[in-house]
Amino acid sequence: MKVTVLYVGSSLLAPLRRAEGEINRRHGLDLLVATHNFGSNFTDDEWGAIENDLNESEVVFVIHVMDGENAARLISFLDRERTKKRAIIVINCMPDLMKRTRMGKLDLAKLSGVSRKGASREASETEGKHLLSAVTSWIGRQARGSRAKSGGNGRGRDKYLKWAERLPNLLRFVPNAGRVGDARNYLLLMSYFLQPTPRNIESMILLALKNYIDDERLLAIEIPPPEALPSVAIYHPDAPALFESFNAYEVWHSQFKGQRPTSNGSGLAPNSTIGLLLMRPQIISNSRRHYDALIRAIEDEGLSVVPAISTLMDNREACERFFITRVGSRKSGVSKIETTGNGQPTTDNGRKPRVSQIVSLTGFSFVGGPAMNDSEAASEYLRELNIPYRSLVSLDAQTIESWRESFTGLNPVQTGMQVAIPEIDGATEPFVFGGIPARGVEPAALEDRCVRAARRIRRWHRLQTAPRTELKIALVLYCFPPNKGNIGTAADLDVFASVFDVLSKLKAEGYEVPLPDNADALRQSLLNGNSDEFEAAPGAINTKDGELLIQGIKLGNIFIGVQPTFGYEDDPMRLLMSKGGTPHHGFAAFYAYLEKVFKADAVVHVGTHGAMEFMPGKQVGLSSECWPDRLIGELPNIYIYSVNNPSEGTIAKRRSYAELISYLTPPIENAGLYKGLATLKELIESYRRVVNQDERERIFKAIEESRKELNLGLC
Amino acid sequence: MNRFADRDHQVSFLAEQLVEIEQRLIPTGLHVFGRAAELKEKADLLRMVASFERPEHGARALPALVADALGLDPDVLSEEPNNETKELIDGMVADAISRFCEKEAAHAAGWLNSKASVKVEDSLQTFKLLEKISEQLDLNHEIESLMRALRGEYIEPGPGADIVQNPFVLPTGRNTHAVNPYSVPSRTAFDRAQFTADALLRRYLDEHGRYPRAMALVLWGLDNIKTQGEGVAQALWLLGVRPIRDALNRATEVEEIPLDELQRPRIDVVMTVSGIFRDLFTPTMALLDKAVRRVAGLDEPPEMNYVRRNVSESVESGTADFDDAVARVFSNAPGNYGTNVNFMVMQSAWENEAALGDLFVTRKCFAYTRDSKGRTVEGHEAPELMNDALARVEATYQNIDSFEVGITDVDHYFEYLGGISKAVEKRSQSRPSIYLSDSLSPQTKIRSLEETVRLETRTKTLNPKWYEGMLKHGFRGVAEIENHVANTFGWSATADAVDPWIYTEISKTFLLDEEMFNRLHKLNPHSLQSLAKRLLEAHDRGYWNPDEEVLEKLREIIFQLENKVSVA
Repeated sequence: MKVTVLYVGSSLLAPLRRAEGEINRRHGLDLLVATHNFGSNFTDDEWGAIENDLNESEVVFVIHVMDGENAARLISFLDRERTKKRAIIVINCMPDLMKRTRMGKLDLAKLSGVSRKGASREASETEGKHLLSAVTSWIGRQARGSRAKSGGNGRGRDKYLKWAERLPNLLRFVPNAGRVGDARNYLLLMSYFLQPTPRNIESMILLALKNYIDDERLLAIEIPPPEALPSVAIYHPDAPALFESFNAYEVWHSQFKGQRPTSNGSGLAPNSTIGLLLMRPQIISNSRRHYDALIRAIEDEGLSVVPAISTLMDNREACERFFITRVGSRKSGVSKIETTGNGQPTTDNGRKPRVSQIVSLTGFSFVGGPAMNDSEAASEYLRELNIPYRSLVSLDAQTIESWRESFTGLNPVQTGMQVAIPEIDGATEPFVFGGIPARGVEPAALEDRCVRAARRIRRWHRLQTAPRTELKIALVLYCFPPNKGNIGTAADLDVFASVFDVLSKLKAEGYEVPLPDNADALRQSLLNGNSDEFEAAPGAINTKDGELLIQGIKLGNIFIGVQPTFGYEDDPMRLLMSKGGTPHHGFAAFYAYLEKVFKADAVVHVGTHGAMEFMPGKQVGLSSECWPDRLIGELPNIYIYSVNNPSEGTIAKRRSYAELISYLTPPIENAGLYKGLATLKELIESYRRVVNQDERERIFKAIEESRKELNLGLC
Repeated sequence: MNRFADRDHQVSFLAEQLVEIEQRLIPTGLHVFGRAAELKEKADLLRMVASFERPEHGARALPALVADALGLDPDVLSEEPNNETKELIDGMVADAISRFCEKEAAHAAGWLNSKASVKVEDSLQTFKLLEKISEQLDLNHEIESLMRALRGEYIEPGPGADIVQNPFVLPTGRNTHAVNPYSVPSRTAFDRAQFTADALLRRYLDEHGRYPRAMALVLWGLDNIKTQGEGVAQALWLLGVRPIRDALNRATEVEEIPLDELQRPRIDVVMTVSGIFRDLFTPTMALLDKAVRRVAGLDEPPEMNYVRRNVSESVESGTADFDDAVARVFSNAPGNYGTNVNFMVMQSAWENEAALGDLFVTRKCFAYTRDSKGRTVEGHEAPELMNDALARVEATYQNIDSFEVGITDVDHYFEYLGGISKAVEKRSQSRPSIYLSDSLSPQTKIRSLEETVRLETRTKTLNPKWYEGMLKHGFRGVAEIENHVANTFGWSATADAVDPWIYTEISKTFLLDEEMFNRLHKLNPHSLQSLAKRLLEAHDRGYWNPDEEVLEKLREIIFQLENKVSVA
């Protein structure tokens, strides 16, 4: 007997493989479970193999498939094969696929066509009529594709998840026969699936086998009811179980931390604790090695973590339960600490964050889950907490190997879901930290990326907590095309006036910076170089007598530097290359200087735009071999960017992990008329006023002359 | 036509040109980070904001409201300037806005009610919107946001666009985001695109008496984010297909528009896509490729389906098999950006113009399509396919969406639209017609490149309002002027689209006027030197043939400046 599972995601494969082995071992069967990750598009050959598996299977599961192209291929196959006796069980897919669910007498194509009324009349013949009509109409709604208004959907489906926890008990009252029985089976399969522990996944497969394959060996098999785990909780790789409250976690943490040499001494102090949002299925199905690696990497940086499993559709619930405390609340063990981060204020209603950064590893929008996003609700919530929100990327819809080999990096599905949508919530740092390996059944960590991500998080943490007098900031300006007259290039921005104002503000905020007299003096000193250490900007080639030169000036703890150009001036032949073009040594040296020699705590790129983020490498989801990733290193990157250029700004966000601070575009006015054009307008007006034809002729001549003078065309 | 009528007609035509120049919105100056908009006069900006329908704000377009209330045909608004009804409406709107600027929303709405019987409740929302924009322009939190970012606080996300396009970009100081790539093209974008693309075809038809065998389009991330995909929608409409949305509301499929509905042939479009567009709109690249394939496969007469005709031609001549012959979406190598044509021009590092077109193809010849196995490929180097596609192109085109970024403001327009036009010129052995659309006003207008260069030059480079606005920023302002001259020169190098008088006027305004020369020299001699050198280069390359006197003066200036400047 054979089951094929077509799925998207990284948490199912391990429990499926395990289920296959366990079922065969325990029940002496010859079950084959074929699996295909539908995350990326297939070649014709690969598709052939999938059809082969489908043809040989008595049961097919389709799970989390949303992509148009793969889904379209699958739908046309299923429609072609409609007459075959085969159970097609579609869970949490796009509506067109949901409709293809066919199990025994249950056919969602028909169900989704009937009215809600009809469905309930049908169901009223049974005992569990109320429940079932609600469920079938919900399934029907899924199949019809109607969606609730923004906000409602997330909450609605969350409610559904909770209700699904109670479902197994209720289903005991539903008879197991006919179409109602098949609907009951569908709901039971869902109940197992929504709690994807290894045992539940095994039961899900068994239930499908028992009901939809004629085989005597199956009849006697007892299937346990679904085991339930909490919908939100705190997880830790070193803890024996999940924690349902922050307090329970804190108690464990305080006992445990002494055993780890790297953990910091301050326990779960809000200003050095990172809140992580994890996917529930990954934790429950024990597919979490990538999470574990990142958690350990962050702890190795001396920070604590609160890793919360979250209900996919709305992360606010987990945040509210585990990342927030109420000032004065008796329950809170940390209420005596007055501030978090760098004096972050308590929110109006007395809620205070217990964490100093939120790092989402879910790959979905903060509110709304995979199918929609309520970004307004997300940013409103995060604004009130006022702590940064990061969204890191796990390769769930492509393998680590395909990502490594790809020039593109993330495939379109991942880019859309895991990068573009979180950005709208205000997420930063779209950093790849793990994913599914081509061989192996569960996600793996990219160890070097976890370390890098953790260090970047620690750098941001330093910005939040270190005294301002110690913080070093690098301001990076451009000069393009390379020419002294262009120093301080940026679209629509008066760079030196801006930098001068920024310096003044930095000084007022307590950063260590002696102010130049004015913007002009600042520019002069940058043009001339203010010490032996730095070269007058811009030097032709950034090297002199075999030494690399850095162009910039240091004012106290602030460095103001000029980003080197592409380096084409020295070697125009580089322009002719169709691809590649690594940055020259001077360019690399500049960023190495910022990080390693000047030891900047943050870099601020001033204005739209520089060249660093356009250096070769993957398009999105960079690796440690991509140039922008190497150049920015561990430095927090804040980028002052024109508000009218979201496209190039997004490249900076994705390829150099920049947080953008938008600036206004210049005032817009009507061009008006001037000089000869203004005179011509007057002439035309008098031509129109005058009635005497001789007079008109005279004015017309003047108009003609003026027209020629102004090089205006004739009609 | 009698002589008087002809004369009147000429005068009207000139008057129209003047109105076009006078009313064009231009940026006047530069922004200083953290400072409130230095806008003495907000009326021009607010009037433009109020001329668009903004259902997302519940705000109606004031001109449309006035036309409605006066019982006038709203079509009058989309006609050419110089019609009296339009002037009347525009005048009323302008008065209402100045009243708003003097007092407040309710007052302006009341005034509009008394003068044009526009119901107060109809216009009040629009004035309220203007009020909000006006307030937000007076405040500025950019520096505070930067400090917050440096303290590691949450920076709120916000959309990116021009203020006129999307007032939601205010307040600034936020973390600008792009859009969901599956959301383009939006319904509005598709509607507007039909109008624009039809106007484009009409213009070509007027000039050539037939449709182009093929067109080349430049698609950027910039305008497609801001317009929710108008450029993409234009390409689809030219092909004669419309996007289909799946149950999750994602544009993932297309369907053909029947020929009897389309009423014209399907146009073959070669799409050159910026590296940024490719990154931001990967699913859209696939959608465009799908659209071409679908159209190429339609069983229609070749004279009504140019894609099919051209693809069959390539297949039959043995140049390429079907999968290669339908390649129409070209961009950079994956993870690479730009054409380098701009760098080449800026550094004067080219010998002949054709080399610029060749460079464009070298950089942009990566085909984003599928192989014969139906697998999406990440972009493979295919100069022969791009050459073949470009050889049939008779018109090149780019959509401009912004008041704020014009074709001489940045070097990217000439590197792309200029670069592809030069590439077409060599490959088709004929210079294509080059067009730009102005989708930045409620009424789209198509202009030739030459017309656009003239308009940009007159409204910006040569306009005291523009350059004095820049010069308020001293050093940086001179650099901006020099950049505009260099970008204008880029249009000579790539498309020979700059009238010689433009160079003459530039030299008169900035070099030969002694007072101006001295000012610029004091502010930024480096940029002044580059400007002079660029003008001399324009002469050396044959784009401008000034009097010997002028040339002599240029050389003298450059000599002088070199002595003074190049000490470092």
